[in-house]
Amino acid sequence: MTTTQKQSATQSQKLMVFVLTMALYGLATLFTELIPSFQVGIVEFSVEYFLFIPLTLAMLFDPMSAALGAATGELVFSEIMLGQFGGLGELEKFITVTIGVYIAGRLVRDPRNRKMVGIAAYAGVLIQQGLGTIVDILKVQLAVEDFEAVAGLPESVFATEGFAFLNDVLFSGILFCLLPTLYLVPKLHGKIEPLLGMQPRTAETCLDPIGAKAILGCAVAAVAAIAAELLATSGLSLIDWEADWAESGTAIAVGIVVAAVIAVAAVLAMRALTRKSAA
Amino acid sequence: MRMLDKLSENILDKLSIDFLRNQVLKNAYGNDDTVIAALDARMLLVWYLFFGLVPWFVNDIPFLIGCFLLVAVTTMLARVAGLVLFLFGVGVFAQTGYLLLVTLLFGGDASAIAPLLVLTLKVATVSLASITIFSGLDPDKLANGLMWYGCPERLSFSISYAYRMLPMLMEEFQNVLLSYRLRGNAPAHDTLSGKIRYLIYQVKVIMHAFYPLMLNTAKRSRTTVEVLEIKGYRYAAVNQEVKKMKLASMKVTNNDLLFLSVSFLWVAVTVLISTLI
Repeated sequence: MTTTQKQSATQSQKLMVFVLTMALYGLATLFTELIPSFQVGIVEFSVEYFLFIPLTLAMLFDPMSAALGAATGELVFSEIMLGQFGGLGELEKFITVTIGVYIAGRLVRDPRNRKMVGIAAYAGVLIQQGLGTIVDILKVQLAVEDFEAVAGLPESVFATEGFAFLNDVLFSGILFCLLPTLYLVPKLHGKIEPLLGMQPRTAETCLDPIGAKAILGCAVAAVAAIAAELLATSGLSLIDWEADWAESGTAIAVGIVVAAVIAVAAVLAMRALTRKSAA
Repeated sequence: MRMLDKLSENILDKLSIDFLRNQVLKNAYGNDDTVIAALDARMLLVWYLFFGLVPWFVNDIPFLIGCFLLVAVTTMLARVAGLVLFLFGVGVFAQTGYLLLVTLLFGGDASAIAPLLVLTLKVATVSLASITIFSGLDPDKLANGLMWYGCPERLSFSISYAYRMLPMLMEEFQNVLLSYRLRGNAPAHDTLSGKIRYLIYQVKVIMHAFYPLMLNTAKRSRTTVEVLEIKGYRYAAVNQEVKKMKLASMKVTNNDLLFLSVSFLWVAVTVLISTLI
């Protein structure tokens, strides 16, 4: 038996971490979705930021399970349970949260080292918010037709997004992310691991430091997140195509309507038949 | 003065957890007798795929208005909880209204309104479509529908789990918060500085509440996973036989086809109108 085992979790322990992060972060995001934020002047005070929960857990447990759990929790609890699922945009959020939490979790080798915990927590926030901002700007640029042509719009998008980014990073990032993580990680270290039947993470047992492979994987995922939004680029040609086709004939549109009417009639007839046979 | 009033509305008062819980539970469990809830999840997902994607790529105003009207009707049919609709309204107008204001600030003029209106219509249509599906369907059915399309088992497991655990988790969070309040000594909040201190105190309580909550949830998730393992969950998750048995209850009826074809008819009519104009 070697004494310096890597902190490797079994499959079911990974599932435990996944469920734990999902439930907690999901609950927290559910509340943030429901609590109205209030503004004082231009600074928005909101309890927006509960990212400290997955950050803490990713530093204590297997980072990948915690990261995926957090992203899934947000998706399921606050988006699907409340019916606020936004389609493509959610994919971007899912990936940015996963990357931010995962990298933060991998950065910490020894959870008792407060300095490293702080740096990692802040790095996680910066990555997540930075990616989110880039994607947001791209989204508006692509959704609005002739973006550059509308006077004042480009500047305003950069200004609002940039301001939101600074606000999130400086205000929520420190107050609601950095400080709670610094408080919770040392306090939970050594106490919460036995509850899941694991050894606490120490400098000897932690996973290897982030290698080229992990960075490459994150980069690919980031590109995928942006690509999900860039789908709209191919959407641009789709619009052209739509326009051509619409011009080419009212006749085709009439044909579609007729087909739809026939479809509705057919279904109604089928319904009547099944009624009759059931009776 | 209004600012001070707002500041004094503290977080725990807004976070009247009972109210929030009722709304969430109503949304998740309350409407399984509506027209939308009776439909087949797979058909609704196809429907959602259209109304969740196509509006992003089309700039034709009659078409967008037509789609918007249709999803508004289906949202009404799904009888969505009031809070969700309110949040939807706030979300849409906060996003585009804010953008409009800043655009004007940077020297834009009325010409900015038209593109923003299109953007608003798109956002509203897409989010109403998703409210219809994800609010109208009960989560178990939704999870089955997603599984049928080959979504990862983890996702549908998460949805079912969240659906069952949510009330318990919320209650636990409330209990922890209440016990902190009972034992804590809140600062006096008559003056402004007292109010600010009170606010900081409350935020701190919420942060601290996560410490016991994390420990409790850790215990609970261990129990959950162990029970799942006893029942052979990880093997069942990838087994085709099990999946088949699980999904056997899904059935496409005439109502589903009727719903799809009426939607199709409506869209076709809007396309026709937009070519006529």
